[in-house]
Amino acid sequence: MENQFLREKIGDGVHFYQVTDPKFKHNRITVNLILPLCRESVTVNAVLPFLLRKGCKSCPDFTKLNQKLCELYGASLSCDVSKFGAYQVLELSIYGIDNRFTLGGETMAAECAGLLTDVLLAPNFGADGLFPETDVETERQQLMDTIEGQINDKRVYALSRCKALMCEGEPLAIEKYGYIDDAKKITPESATAAYEKAIETAQVEISFVGCGNPATAKKIFTDAFAKVRRSPARMEKYVTRPQADQPKETKEELDVAQSKLVLGFRTGAIRDQETFGAMRMMVALFGGTPNSRLFTYVREKLSLCYYCAARFDRLTGLMMVDSGVEKVNKQKAQDEILNQLGVMQRGEFTDDELTATKLLLQNALRSVTDSLGATEEWYLTQVMDGGSSSPADEIALIDTVTREAIIKAANQVTLDTVYFLTGKGDA
Amino acid sequence: MERETIHSERLGEQMIRLRHRSGLTMLLCPMKGYSTAYATFTANVGSVDTGFKTQDDVDFVDVPEGIAHFLEHKMFENEDGDAFLKYAKTGASANAYTSFDRTAYLFSCTDNFAESLEILLDFVRRPYFTKESVQKEQGIIGQEIRMYDDDPDWRVMFNLLGALYQNHPVRIDIAGTVESIAKIDHELLYRCYRTFYNLNNMVLSIAGNFDVDTVLEVADRVLKPDEKPIEITRRTFAEPEGVYKPRVEQKLAVAIPLFQLGFKGKNYGMPGNLQNQVLDEILIDVIAGEASPLYRRLYDAGLINATFATEATAGRDYMYTIFAGESHDPDKVAEEIKAEIRRMRKDGVDERLFELTRRATYGRYLGMYSRTESVAGLMTTSYFGGMDNIYVFLDIVANATIEQMNERLAVAFDPEKSALSIVYPQEG
Repeated sequence: MENQFLREKIGDGVHFYQVTDPKFKHNRITVNLILPLCRESVTVNAVLPFLLRKGCKSCPDFTKLNQKLCELYGASLSCDVSKFGAYQVLELSIYGIDNRFTLGGETMAAECAGLLTDVLLAPNFGADGLFPETDVETERQQLMDTIEGQINDKRVYALSRCKALMCEGEPLAIEKYGYIDDAKKITPESATAAYEKAIETAQVEISFVGCGNPATAKKIFTDAFAKVRRSPARMEKYVTRPQADQPKETKEELDVAQSKLVLGFRTGAIRDQETFGAMRMMVALFGGTPNSRLFTYVREKLSLCYYCAARFDRLTGLMMVDSGVEKVNKQKAQDEILNQLGVMQRGEFTDDELTATKLLLQNALRSVTDSLGATEEWYLTQVMDGGSSSPADEIALIDTVTREAIIKAANQVTLDTVYFLTGKGDA
Repeated sequence: MERETIHSERLGEQMIRLRHRSGLTMLLCPMKGYSTAYATFTANVGSVDTGFKTQDDVDFVDVPEGIAHFLEHKMFENEDGDAFLKYAKTGASANAYTSFDRTAYLFSCTDNFAESLEILLDFVRRPYFTKESVQKEQGIIGQEIRMYDDDPDWRVMFNLLGALYQNHPVRIDIAGTVESIAKIDHELLYRCYRTFYNLNNMVLSIAGNFDVDTVLEVADRVLKPDEKPIEITRRTFAEPEGVYKPRVEQKLAVAIPLFQLGFKGKNYGMPGNLQNQVLDEILIDVIAGEASPLYRRLYDAGLINATFATEATAGRDYMYTIFAGESHDPDKVAEEIKAEIRRMRKDGVDERLFELTRRATYGRYLGMYSRTESVAGLMTTSYFGGMDNIYVFLDIVANATIEQMNERLAVAFDPEKSALSIVYPQEG
């Protein structure tokens, strides 16, 4: 069954979108506050979802709030920060079973929407009108742990370092959780001021994905935002440099067993759906599947690594290639990655590879609507990109991509930055 | 062919269990409204199977650590090419994984289901190993192992299992070591294959968008009966009830210390262990879930952060639970958790908190029945775990009692049978 995407304005800079399908048993409601990435405000903004998650006027105690969620059949109230292009997105989300599956006939979707609204718009401020000092202290430390903990996953860390080096001085280089020195300076005053500004100026995207009826939830959010003073900032798509100059190379050392090689590329200007579709296909054929050039050659033929993959970010137009290799094999792996890009640029791939990549991409696109989380993210990305294509639209788009378009896309790609994270010493 | 339809009144859903004439058991759950079909073809072998024999072998063979995982990698290569290349013609997304006690080959697809199923049932039945291909894989898996060497979450867990268990092979890394996989050759792989990849000992689980008749038609065409059923005898390990070491440490490039506090549970075999896993999941949330007083104390004191998580794991002959996270003072966290458990063992489990948690667990389990991959996973788990069907999990949650909680607390959460694993940051 085709899920229908409906999006409407329910307030000044506030939109509500819904995708429903009776096959699910749960509903997932998410509020996204979309703010421009900015070095000065990114860190204090990042603490906000976590501060809000601690409690609200109707349920000020953290433990009581969590017990209330248990009563709602283990509804989960989660929060996080993510990065979409040049924007920082603060998200608060609630996921709970639908009315149909309760034991006592509770109206779950309405309860969940009500609670989420309270958490977002009626924080547990003290008599001074500020976030409580103790909460700020705890969450400041938590944020610092999160920022520092990013080093734990070496693959993600290396990718993020490469992107930061590549886009130095641009908003794209800004870390989504911010910076340790700024985190240390967060106070109840600064957090409250940031909260008020975010609620007033953010573009707000609320999504309802699941099997229930979104009407009540929509009304709850509409009424709640009607009481909020709003002067939302306009959202503009940030365009980064389409082409690289001379490739930069950076090596960093850390105590690791396996070295991480990351190559950051720019992919030219993605002007329309057609060039986007071609680039998406190009990247998938190059390094996005287990039949891709990178998997087949760098892993299977040369046995240099366990993973070597390329991914494309439609919001920034950056393509990142990464692999985990032995220190001594760095150059070999890099040469083969660039060699395979040459193969793409010269069109030396087979029609079988092309067909296989189309099938695999389309399979992945068809699967999107089987998951609440994937559906929600799909449409948020669409909204951030100024579009409203469904996965089915993109399946059709992929169908039209030609060999010539892929070759052309490959020739748009330029190497910007080589980043190598490696162990200390010669070993 | 034996065929049985199993209903869940609670969910208004059903699944089919049948034994194909080839000897293969099939668990099939068509799901309305879904685009994807998710299929897994699973052998009852994993990293813990380090010594075994069949009825035809005189002696046990002791195989190098990591061989089940190595075999999984090598199965993708057939004499007529790579399985991924075959899937390339259907568009299915294919993969495989090896755990402690199973090896699963899987695909998910939205189109060309019959063709993809045929590929799956075919390539897993046709081993093809050569000296050269084994050597090539040693390079690839060597890098997989090196990747995990840098993964603090992985290291802290296997260090913990190495501390909890003295002899049981659940303590060894699933992929083995660079040294152990160097000892693997094509002959050992064939022996492993012949022992564990007999249709009578495997299971096919499919959930989502597919048609039962299509599965039968493909199976009839592709699956030839195995020559004869294989009886496997696994080497058993005398594992003491107590832990091997109460504490283990390692240093890695991390920012904040990572910890895992593990409790070694008593082994009841299957399906007892599996049933207890569900109960322990509830209990562990009563002890330290977000709604518990302990969680609140630890969080407010800045002793744990958002990475705090818990798990209960059951296997054929082992059972353990873990409290994990990052902390600036892991020893203090471990002490607090153990103190709370001691108190609960004395005072009994709080009834209201138990009811809340049971309700929450129910909602969470319900979600598993609306995802194709988790339905397929539940079917395989329940089958190898000797459980009647997948709906039993929901029944265990719905019927859980406070008496069961107190009993599990006494049996499976003994602070004297716990170990603490810590990964500290490097100095300087």
